Amino acid sequence: MRQKCMYVYLYDNFLRQKKYDSIIKAVEVRLTDYGIAGKILRLNNFIDPKQIIDDEIKRGAKTVVIVGNDATFGYVLSRAATCNCTFGFLPVGGNNTISEVLGIPTDVQACDVLSKRRKESLDVGWMNNRYFVSQLHVLPAKLKVVYDERFAVTANEKMEVVVCNLQPFYWKKDKKDQAEQVVHPQDGKLEAFLRPLTKQGWWGYKYEDPSVFPFEEMEIVSDSPFTVEADGKVSKEVKVKIKLAHGKIDMIVGRNRKF
Amino acid sequence: MIFQKPTPKNVVEEEMTQFDAQTVAERVDEVETIVGPSVNVEGDFASEGNIIVKGTVSGSVHTSRFLSVEPGAKIMANVRAGTAKISGEVKGNLKIRETIELTSTAKVLGDIECRVLSVEPGALLFGKVSMPGIEGAEVRNVKPRTSRRGEETAEAGE
Repeated sequence: MRQKCMYVYLYDNFLRQKKYDSIIKAVEVRLTDYGIAGKILRLNNFIDPKQIIDDEIKRGAKTVVIVGNDATFGYVLSRAATCNCTFGFLPVGGNNTISEVLGIPTDVQACDVLSKRRKESLDVGWMNNRYFVSQLHVLPAKLKVVYDERFAVTANEKMEVVVCNLQPFYWKKDKKDQAEQVVHPQDGKLEAFLRPLTKQGWWGYKYEDPSVFPFEEMEIVSDSPFTVEADGKVSKEVKVKIKLAHGKIDMIVGRNRKF
Repeated sequence: MIFQKPTPKNVVEEEMTQFDAQTVAERVDEVETIVGPSVNVEGDFASEGNIIVKGTVSGSVHTSRFLSVEPGAKIMANVRAGTAKISGEVKGNLKIRETIELTSTAKVLGDIECRVLSVEPGALLFGKVSMPGIEGAEVRNVKPRTSRRGEETAEAGE
């Protein structure tokens, strides 16, 4: 007999808005049809996802489904990557790029993927002392990047670094450039995109073409503190060590995944 | 004369173009590491995939696959690669397993070791080129070199 409450659903706070009511209702109906409906928990700024997930696992939860967008996904998994359960993802609304990589359609169709339970182990990035799943962004600063303790990369002026794990990186060559160039990260390695800035005119800066380095371990060092944004959490650092932790998250993915 | 059989020279050229077309297709598919312009790389730069260099690299470069040095790029290092296309500046010895292509903008200061070498008119090369395939060449090459070195040291001693 199926255990009670095997599935737990973590709803993002923004889903309280009225415009999402119909979608949420449709999703819940579909989940009930498949027999995978479960306990619903609503996230807010004062809830630590790791703690509530651990509590639910103790009560017998086997699968935790994140309902929301890229921000929700990053917020939950950066804190709860070590939890011993299977994760699912139900992308709702806009700002969903990770779901494309995972091969999960948005809204109601995502329930079909969830019910099929095709599981994959996903890599997680490790930054200083916490996990990140989607993307790490270092704002332009004078940086030195050391890869695998073997070679160092520097730029003449400031440099911006983006480390991609699951979330693809979009960039524009300049402001006038309309076509966005997309790079999809490969699985099994983290990908770092370095964009040096060169001075143009008195105050202006111009982005150069990005450099791409696949890596497993890297260190970003600077003389002055620089801003790091990992899965939506911003901090100031002087030294950042980024590593890859293999096979940390069990995730339900779709057939059309990009890895 | 018109209906003459293709000379061995022509055959080799045809084979070469086919091989080039293949390698170009491979290169486009698997671009992995890109060193962008105005980026400096120092140290043992190694990659399992293809490398495209548009900036500056010093130390050593190693890949088992394709290396492309774009116009304006500078490499001050010993290079080891599967195949290579050089359009920029290289100061150091090149050890290429298969084919190396020097385009018209290439500047190479160092010895080249490869199987197939193609040089476009305008390319600058200063160094020794050695290719496997000629029997006895290695023995001949080694002997005079050692004697020359001996002479040089003798001269320096004087």
